[in-house]
Amino acid sequence: MFEYVFRGLLNGSVYALLALPMTLFFTTAATVDFAIGAYALLAAAVATAIPGPLGIAAGLASALAGSLVMAVIFILLKRTGSEGIRVALASFGLSLAIASLVLIVWGTKPFVRQTFTTMFEVGGLRVNPQGLLNVAISLLLVGATWLVIQRTQLGRMMRAAAVNAAGAELAAIPVIGVQCGTLVAGGLLGGIAGLLILHSSGMDFTASLGLTFIGFAAAIIFGIQSPTRCLAGGLAIGVIEALSAGYTSGMVTSMVPSLFMLLVLMFGQLGTGRFSGDRP
Amino acid sequence: MRLPRRRGNSLIMLGIGVFACGIAPLNPVWLDTVVLAGIFSLISLSAGLSFGQAGILSMAQGAFAAIGAYATAVCATKLGLPAWAGLALAIALPAALAWGLARVVTRMPELATALATLALATLLEILSRNWDAVTGGYVGIAGIPPVEGFGTGWRFNVLVWLFVLVAVVLYENLMNSAHGRALNIIRHDRTRATADGIAIAPLLSAMLATSGAMAGAGGWLYAHYITYMSPQSLDTHVSISALLMAVVGGAGYVLGPVLGTFLLTLLGRLLPAQEAQGLFYGGALVVILVVAPEGLLGWIHKVRDRIAARRPAAEGTRAAGRDAGVQEASP
Repeated sequence: MFEYVFRGLLNGSVYALLALPMTLFFTTAATVDFAIGAYALLAAAVATAIPGPLGIAAGLASALAGSLVMAVIFILLKRTGSEGIRVALASFGLSLAIASLVLIVWGTKPFVRQTFTTMFEVGGLRVNPQGLLNVAISLLLVGATWLVIQRTQLGRMMRAAAVNAAGAELAAIPVIGVQCGTLVAGGLLGGIAGLLILHSSGMDFTASLGLTFIGFAAAIIFGIQSPTRCLAGGLAIGVIEALSAGYTSGMVTSMVPSLFMLLVLMFGQLGTGRFSGDRP
Repeated sequence: MRLPRRRGNSLIMLGIGVFACGIAPLNPVWLDTVVLAGIFSLISLSAGLSFGQAGILSMAQGAFAAIGAYATAVCATKLGLPAWAGLALAIALPAALAWGLARVVTRMPELATALATLALATLLEILSRNWDAVTGGYVGIAGIPPVEGFGTGWRFNVLVWLFVLVAVVLYENLMNSAHGRALNIIRHDRTRATADGIAIAPLLSAMLATSGAMAGAGGWLYAHYITYMSPQSLDTHVSISALLMAVVGGAGYVLGPVLGTFLLTLLGRLLPAQEAQGLFYGGALVVILVVAPEGLLGWIHKVRDRIAARRPAAEGTRAAGRDAGVQEASP
């Protein structure tokens, strides 16, 4: 029991990294980037092709490139004045294209890489050092994001763009620039998450949509407001997934993220602000 | 020639259907292409109804079609019921599920509905892979009998296009009614719709149920044509390509999805490999959203309006208008 919870916490810290870009982009642009999982997949695929630290850099660069493409699409769509749902649809298309590209270049083989061969034991639990590294990196990034949002000029601009885009525009804040910056930062975070997954449990070319799902479920489970809630959501999803993997069938485990998303959407208030008077 | 305004699309559809049924029997490859184009027209019409008319992005059309296909497959192979009994189930089950989903996603904001349908589609796919007793798991269900009386290829083709024609007639009827206009108002401005006394959530739920029923009928045709059904047959890729077909042709126009389906089915035949499918579909979706947000039919309408507006204008503005027209045509 305790072991499952511990495993879940280790996995969940990575899910928090996938949830973070969702929260950031949703709060600043009121729409969803379905391609987060695809950036993670692309980073992992590129990193396996090039050995050593250079591969990690190349992986992050490719994830950044993917999100830059998304940023260009976002600007072009905003220029024609279309609503958020088209951005979501376009990002879905991009995610499909990236997954297909990975399939063409790398084939169906799974991507996985073990950095540490030795496990050490803590209180009867066998722990892979990579898991602890994941937790450390994710805590660091969530903390850094929180600091940026709460304490810096950039963070104030982001929050202003999130609360009232028209008002922020009037106050000379480049709203579309801030939103694109969030998108690209999201690509970087997604890439880091992809590399961490590559070094721990691994993935294959079908993973992109599943990762997006996990990220979104983790982002909305406790309300889509702040990085700390993302962390809590990611950890919760990780623990629930590990518990259901331990005590139920594989079918239930693979259903967990979607099921959670559906439950939260049933009871949640996601996007209802658009009803209470504000016009698009 | 001027078509009656309220029936124009149905008459054009009748023409397309007769043409498709006429040329198809000449060549077995054409017949296969035309039958599949008809089935996917039905599924993408259902996507066009929800996305183009009401602004609801439903990512579960493939899943609704899969429910229809599984329903009739189980009816035919396990229970031995005739195909028409399967049709009733194939229409009723997805409609009920879509209605239920829409009712629990309270007030149906666009984004939440899109995510909920996507989550539902994923759940259904996992379920169909694991529920061995009913869906046959990964192996699927083989040996689904053809529809009685429509066993031969060309007869089935006529049946498929009859279904599409009925769907288009009903669709056009809906859009000519107060309900259809209410759906369009909801897409443009929900606050306005509320002010006009439209009960948004029930209307959208009914719309999603209708669209689910249409997709279910498409799945029924698919199952009886291919005679085999597995979790990979009608998956998320089908949902997304149905949306893509609707968006390419023009989701806001009744016949847009049919045009998009024809174009993409023909272009899809030219693809070198199965792996490139996602790249092609995803790339095409992004390009069409950026270049022609209203789809091909919307673009044609825009060009035609420009030409019409240019004709009575003075000589100077005519030249300016022509320049604008050329710019419009270049991307």
